[in-house]
Amino acid sequence: MNRSTKRSYVLYALILAFLAGVGVMIFNFIVHGDEWVSSKANKHVYNGGALTCGGTIFDRDGVYLAKTEKGKRVFNSSSTLRKATLHIVGDTQGYIPTGTHTVYSEQLSGYSIVDGVYKLKEYGKGNDIYLTVSAKACRAAYEALEGFNGAVGVYNYKTGEVLCDVSKPTYDIENKPSDLLKNEEKYKGVFINRFFSGLYVPGSVFKVVTAACAIENIPDIYTRKFECKGKTSFAGGTVICNGVHGKISFKEALNKSCNCAFSQIAVELGAEKLTATANAFGFNQSLKATKINVGKSRFNITGSQDYEIGWAGIGQYTTLVSPCQVVMFMGAIANGGAAAEPQTVKKIVSPTGLTVSGLRQKNSTISIDPSTADKLKTLLRSNVKDSYGDNRFPGLEMCGKTGTAEVDDGKPHSWFAGFSMREDFPYAVVVIAENAGSGYGVAMSTANKVMQTILKG
Amino acid sequence: MFRRKARSFRWLFLLIVVTIFQQVSFAQIIFVDKEIRMTNLYVAAGYIIFEWVYLIIMRAATGTAHLELEIIAFFLSGISIIISGSIAESYAFKQVVAVAAGALAYAFFLWFLRDTKRAMFMRTPVAAAALGLLGLNLVLAKTVNGALNWIELGPVSIQPSELVKVAFIFVGAATLDKLQTMHSITKYVIFSIACVGMLFLMRDFGTALIFFVTFVLIAFMRSGDLRTIAMVCTGALLGAMLVIYFKPYVANRFAAYRHVWEMINDKGYQQTRVMIYSTSGGLFGLGIGRGKLREVYAASTDLVFGMLCEEFGMITAFAVLLCFAFVAVYAVKCAKSSRSAFYAILSVSSAGMLLFQLSLNVFGVMDLLPLTGVTLPFISRGGTSMICVWALFSFIKSAGYEGRWANE
Repeated sequence: MNRSTKRSYVLYALILAFLAGVGVMIFNFIVHGDEWVSSKANKHVYNGGALTCGGTIFDRDGVYLAKTEKGKRVFNSSSTLRKATLHIVGDTQGYIPTGTHTVYSEQLSGYSIVDGVYKLKEYGKGNDIYLTVSAKACRAAYEALEGFNGAVGVYNYKTGEVLCDVSKPTYDIENKPSDLLKNEEKYKGVFINRFFSGLYVPGSVFKVVTAACAIENIPDIYTRKFECKGKTSFAGGTVICNGVHGKISFKEALNKSCNCAFSQIAVELGAEKLTATANAFGFNQSLKATKINVGKSRFNITGSQDYEIGWAGIGQYTTLVSPCQVVMFMGAIANGGAAAEPQTVKKIVSPTGLTVSGLRQKNSTISIDPSTADKLKTLLRSNVKDSYGDNRFPGLEMCGKTGTAEVDDGKPHSWFAGFSMREDFPYAVVVIAENAGSGYGVAMSTANKVMQTILKG
Repeated sequence: MFRRKARSFRWLFLLIVVTIFQQVSFAQIIFVDKEIRMTNLYVAAGYIIFEWVYLIIMRAATGTAHLELEIIAFFLSGISIIISGSIAESYAFKQVVAVAAGALAYAFFLWFLRDTKRAMFMRTPVAAAALGLLGLNLVLAKTVNGALNWIELGPVSIQPSELVKVAFIFVGAATLDKLQTMHSITKYVIFSIACVGMLFLMRDFGTALIFFVTFVLIAFMRSGDLRTIAMVCTGALLGAMLVIYFKPYVANRFAAYRHVWEMINDKGYQQTRVMIYSTSGGLFGLGIGRGKLREVYAASTDLVFGMLCEEFGMITAFAVLLCFAFVAVYAVKCAKSSRSAFYAILSVSSAGMLLFQLSLNVFGVMDLLPLTGVTLPFISRGGTSMICVWALFSFIKSAGYEGRWANE
């Protein structure tokens, strides 16, 4: 062998580089294949930017919400149901980012790395998706909200199944309003699913967090008395209460949602401890509902003045939260400190009838000390039993907290968040009705109507 | 004894596997919409008979059972015929004629290269012809797809740059074999610069790059002097930078690189479509003729790898890639055992050129490298390139033929 023939080995370098490139390519196929196939430019799946031939989307009981018929995507025949389920079902063009059509486009097209979109070509549709939501519950929530914008969510804190997810404003996807993109007033943020992504001032619902912090950090909290003269002054400003409660205990303060008591507790606890508890309740964290990102909440009182901490302790100031997070921490309280992560898909069924995937059991990242959760549960039960009245929630053994969140424009937002104590009915609920006034009104009655609908089955 | 016998029949086994693949694939372009496409049927029958007869004759004539290269060539060429036939029956006919011409060119070169003296004698005429062809191209060519690299001769159009690829390697190997004088090296460098320069004038940037890499490979094989190579590389790099600076066309193509999804309907159109549709095919493909990439311009030429993935499936597509890697390893083995440096250079630079062109094409459409618009050897539709790739395979084969199997 002469020198020249020996140098043939140089080709091995080229071969290795080539094989490395092939390796990167295979890696890309595996990791990014689903994104590529889901591109709107894929004519196997989309036509003119709209998904045309995906599988059917059903509710948990098999009621179809969207399906493909003769190469066209059609939605449920009831206009009310279309509006009630718009945000969870989503649109075919991806305007609604958290809709099933967008989040699960790859499953609807039936894509898999092994078969590509072969199933779609062979059967004319991809996988069917059974959602966890109940069409009945969504309709009940939509109607109960009356004319108010806002969101309603119900979820099973043991399994994570979301039974109700309604967001308003909404529109009828089969009869798209002509002023949808122009009427700022009427359709502001119409594509946002407010249950998952809407961020609201929590108002008194936040007192649950302040209460948790107090239980953990003030040993004699249950024997203490607080003075309420209708307002309390702190360094820098004053916190105003919804009434004059006189001398009241911790429990009574939560029952009556006394701002004076809770602002005093917040200031006593201080920024550091309150922030720690808020973070444990999921504030400032990136929470997930399986494939959907929950709107990231905000609780920031670092370096704030006392009166600002006081306001923050009763859920005002700069704090913002998504309804989904509220229902998640309500579920955690109900379930001994930890609850399942919300999920919206019950099962995915291939065109051949095979169940491709089902429910996943996974805990959310919200974690509350079990003994604290237990004490909060007793307090929240007392709210309904001793203050709101069990007749507001017949047969539910309800626990909960109302909220009346002051906002800059118009009447306050109305909140209700809670859960049933019944072992056989592990559901937590959240309602926010924008500019609806006190939480005792629309929010509470909507929560009851939805829960009753689910209870009846 | 038994093992030796088994090995001598391995080529038959390989050929049977390839034939089964071809029958299954051809069936999909013959029986379409409950009709029988007669031209495709004739092409399929003719092609399969041709490959069997050719290989049996080759086995007898060369006296060796090492027919891996020929079988790979027939496997890959078959895919291009099938893809052509799935688009239009007339394409299948043209393509099968080109493959036959390529196979004959292969046999011719195998014979021609056995006599080193004859080969040496031909190097100057071949060099002159190559330069003449490129010059003629510059004068006559019409612009296709931004590059001026086609000549129309009546009903057929030829791509001179493809023919010059073969000449480039042949001249390089022949010049640098024995006459290691400064004079002969200078002549070859001038020849190379003339070739690459004319390709730049034709704005065929991808092919120019292939020539440059092949030149570096040949230079290394011959001299082994890293300093020389460093100088050559620097010079060429500077040249390339100037080209990018002066040719907005090239700069344009590079602009989309790694940003194709942001330019999905613009400069990233072709790459994104290849990525979308190649993954849509899955491992087993959607079936020949059932893809959507075929609606995109240049699907069966520059973007053919995407069609391969979408319609034949990723297993076949990656098998094609591995075939080329195998051929490159094979080429090194042939070169090592070859009689002289002439054959070693022929073999290694041919395999290197093919592998580099393949990389530019496949990684280009997948956005791992900038898209340069070169073809996928054997698979892309086109007559001239088909003939030339067969010729390059014969360069690899002759190294082994003259070396390790000479006394078998």
